Formats: sequence, C-alpha cells, structure tokens
Amino acid sequence: MELWVLFGTFGLLLAIGTPVAFCLGVASFATVAYLGLPPMVVFQRLNSGVSVFALMAIPFFIFAGEVMVRGDIARRLIAVAGAAVGHFKGGLGQVNIASSLLFGGISGSAAADASAIGGLMIPQMKERGYDVDYAVNITVTSAIIALMIPPSHNMIIYSIAAGGRISIADLFTAGIVPGVLLALSLAVAAWFVARRRDYPTEAFPGWSMLGQLLINAIPGILLIAIIFGGVRSGIFTASESSCIAALYALAVTTLAYRTMGWAEFVGAVKAAVRTTAMVLLVIGCAASFGWLLAFLKVPASMVVLMQSVSQNPIVILLLINVMLLILGTFMDMAPLIVITTPIFLPVAMAFGIDPVHFGVILVLNLGIGLCTPPVGAVLFVGCAVGRISVWQAVRTIWPFYGAAFATLLLVTYIPALSLWLPSLFH
Amino acid sequence: MQSGLKTLAVALGHVANAALWLSGTGLVLMTLIIGAQVFFRYVLNDSIIWSEPAAVILMGWFIFLGAAVGIREGYHLSFDVLLYLVPRRGKLVLYTLSDIVVTTFGAGMVWYGWQLMASAAGVRLPTLGVSGAVDFMPLFGGGILMMLFSIERILRRAAGLPTARFGEADLEEA
Repeated sequence: MELWVLFGTFGLLLAIGTPVAFCLGVASFATVAYLGLPPMVVFQRLNSGVSVFALMAIPFFIFAGEVMVRGDIARRLIAVAGAAVGHFKGGLGQVNIASSLLFGGISGSAAADASAIGGLMIPQMKERGYDVDYAVNITVTSAIIALMIPPSHNMIIYSIAAGGRISIADLFTAGIVPGVLLALSLAVAAWFVARRRDYPTEAFPGWSMLGQLLINAIPGILLIAIIFGGVRSGIFTASESSCIAALYALAVTTLAYRTMGWAEFVGAVKAAVRTTAMVLLVIGCAASFGWLLAFLKVPASMVVLMQSVSQNPIVILLLINVMLLILGTFMDMAPLIVITTPIFLPVAMAFGIDPVHFGVILVLNLGIGLCTPPVGAVLFVGCAVGRISVWQAVRTIWPFYGAAFATLLLVTYIPALSLWLPSLFH
Repeated sequence: MQSGLKTLAVALGHVANAALWLSGTGLVLMTLIIGAQVFFRYVLNDSIIWSEPAAVILMGWFIFLGAAVGIREGYHLSFDVLLYLVPRRGKLVLYTLSDIVVTTFGAGMVWYGWQLMASAAGVRLPTLGVSGAVDFMPLFGGGILMMLFSIERILRRAAGLPTARFGEADLEEA
C-alpha cells in the first residue's frame, strides 16, 4: 500500500505536468505522512541530498562546458575533427560524430554537446546540401558519446547513488572503450545513410593544415589530460578536477584566446546556474524518494522478484535493459539514475555483475533514452537547433538507434569492453 | 487586477534577477574556494579546513535560489506529453494544480527548514565556527521564493495573463 502511495502520487503529479523534482518530493512527503513518520525527514533528506561534496563536480563541469562553448574552445575542437574525418563518406556527419568524441571529452554533458556541436554543425550541414533530419539525427545520437567519455557527470551521479563506494576514476576509465565503440558504430550508420542519399564529402585539407588546427586546439585537448590524469592518478578528487577544469577554461578563454568578455562570462555563469540548479534539485528530491525505497525494502524485494523470474544473468540483464529503456523514453536521465540505481544495482550484483560494468550499461542505456520521444532532452535540443519537429527527426533516426542499441548489447554482454581498461590501472 | 499583477511582475522580476545574481556569485565563489583549496594543498603545502563545508553551503544556496528562479522562468523539466491530449481550459486547470503542489512543497521547505534551523541553532559547526542553523538556511530561503513565485503564477493565470513554460513568455511585457 505504501508503495501505491509513493508511485501513485509520483505518477499522478508527473501526468499533470508538475516538474519532476516536485513529483519526487511531494510523493515522498505523501508516503511519509501515510506511514506516520515525521514529515521533516523528507526535507532533511533533501537538504543532505544536495549537501554532498562529490556533487559539486556537476556545477563545475557544466560551468566549464558553458565557458568552452562561449569562449571558442568547442569550435576549435570541431575544426580539428572537420579536417581529420571530413573526407570520409558521410562528410560533415562524420565530423559531427568525431566532434562529439573530442568535445564530449571535455564537457561530459549530452545536452551541452548537442547544443554546442549542433549549433555549429547543423546550419553548416544544411548549407552543404545535407537533409536536416540527417544532421539532427547524427547530432542527437552522437551526443550520447559525451556521457561515456570522461568526465561524465552522470557517472558521478551513479557513484553517489550507489552509496559513494564505486571509484569515480574506475567509472571514468570504464566508459572510454564503450564511448569509442559507440562513435564507430554511429560512423558506420552515418556512412550507410550518406551512401544511400548520396551526400558530398569534404576535401582533405592536407596534413599541415590538420597540424595547424591541432595546435590551435591544444589548450582544449590539454583540458582532457588535466581532468582525466588528475582523477586517475588520485591527485585531485573529481570535484577538485572539475573546478580546475572550469578555472583553466576561464584562463584559456580570457588570457590566451581573448574570447571571453564580461558579457560572455555572465552568460556562462547564468546558464550554468539554471542548468545545475534544476538538475541538483531533482537529485536532492530523488534522495528522499530513494531513501523511502530503501526504507520500504524495494531493492531487496526486487532481487527476490528477479531471482524468481530467472537465474540466468543474461536474461536478467536483458530485462533490466528493457525496463530502463522504457523508463528512459519518458523520464530524464539524472532522476532515473538516482531512483533506479538503488533498485537495480543490488539485483545486478546478486547476479555477479561488476558495479562498474553496471554503471556503464546504465549510463549508456539512459543516454539512449535522452534521444527517444516522448521525453528526450537531447532530442528536443537537436530538433530546436535544426528547427524541425520531433516527428520529422525520428522518422529517419532508425539506423542511428540501431547502432546505439547494438553498442548497448555489446557493452552489456562483453564485460571486458568496460572492465579491461580500468584493470590496467590496478 | 491585471495592472496590479504587472506591478507585481516587475517587483518579483527584480527579486528573481537578484536571486539569479546571488546564485551566480555563489557558483563563482565556490569555484574560487575549491581552486584555492587545491592551490594551498599542492603549492603552499597547507590545507584549508573550512573550504569544503563552506563550498557545500554555497552550493545549497545556489541550488535552492536557482531552482526557485526556475519556477518563475519555467525551465524545470516536466512530462508534458499527456497534456497535449487535454483541451486548453483543462490544461490551465492542471497547470494551476501543479503550481499549488509546488507552493505546498515550498511551504514545507519553509516550515520544516525553520524547524531544522531551530534544532541545529545551538550546535556549532566545528570547521566553520558558525551555528549549525546555517546548513538549513538555503532550504528556508529557497522555499520562500518558491512559494512567492508559484503564487504569482497562480494569480497571473487566474487573471488571464501568460505564465512561462520553458521560458516562452516574457512576463513584464505581457
């Protein structure tokens, strides 16, 4: 019955359009009241849920991403990608994917990636005669790469949701191979679609030009080394390294590139505040929701339930993936990570799945959910930038969904893809 | 009623703007504090003990203030799909219901935030040397703004004025 109150209130409020954070908070409040517990506990959990030092990496990375977009770091990285892969079949589509790989390595946010790269690439692709749906589809699906390549703040959310015991350095490292794999499979899909629609390719500008562009982009590439090296070596915590990333991006854009004036700075700060306040309020409210789930022993019942369905980890992983994909189509990533991790992680671990491996599956799976209607933040951003309707975009997005699903299956069933690279550091 | 609400919109616009600037300042200060923490530890070989708890409190302020402004500007994530099926009048009723829910939650933040502040008031935070009530102030302050902004939305809708959803409407002009 308590679960009916919890999920019923949540579902009802969600359906009438209440912001997700408040659906979570009020559902917890109603359940606590029904159980006769002091309601204060909901707000205490909300407050302690946002007072976590490790969470600070999220505002810092988002802030750093805003600075990079407004201060020209992103454009220079895209220029490198353009010179390097523009001459392959699929031309600017391949450039778009390679840019996500490079830019994702510094921003770590799929929505930031879609708006930054989409904003630069989609108009350019339109001009060169590509269909808009192709441009939007590639922008949207390749943005998932940003979630896999470190720094990924969603991996940090997962680590916190799992009780903070899973190493962020391992999660960061584990995402690299699956992220590159996703880029490759999207590139194959882009190649096929481009061949069928007979899109142009770009001329290769020559090695000296590529070298020149690479030198121009070095400060951005260095940023990847600072973040990854700092966290991996244990010199910095993830929060500290993200803070250094923001300060470094500010220093490069104001001192070296001279692209960051006062107006750009204020714009970057305000945009970062808007995005992070929204995401972190959801995480805080999900903290009291998650506490209630644990209080009502939902994770333990879920383990029993799943064990009664099957004893086979392959079947269980498939089941979890299908459930997450369905949830991902109509809910956003951060709240889903916070809510589903305490429920599904114990199940996965009961079936012998490594928590780092599970984190990669979860982030990739929910990342696909960001690109699927009816609710997909990244899909919305892509469509808004390309000025087409969601329907126009998803009508032809199937090859790219296919590539992403294939990657998800490979990552799910070949643990070594996630776990091999971190194992080298132990 | 409409002209009164327009004056209110201008006044609350200033409040929201001030809250956004405060949040932004909080973010910048947080960046500087944690940057200083790293600098002191590795360059000066001297740890700052107050930096992490101070930055966490700043984060609380900027989350709750920023989230309150988000209510006024309508940038919170919500699930809109079912609403497409509802006729316009019904939609307005549901929006108002949502705003009432948010107001209630804001009231909870104020009421219980106050109680939490009162219960922690006597405790001294060891690293910062200030009262434990400071930990819960953002909850209380953010709750007040959330209530204010969502009540404004309810009143505006009742008076037939537009309210922002995903930042579509400019409140002062409308």
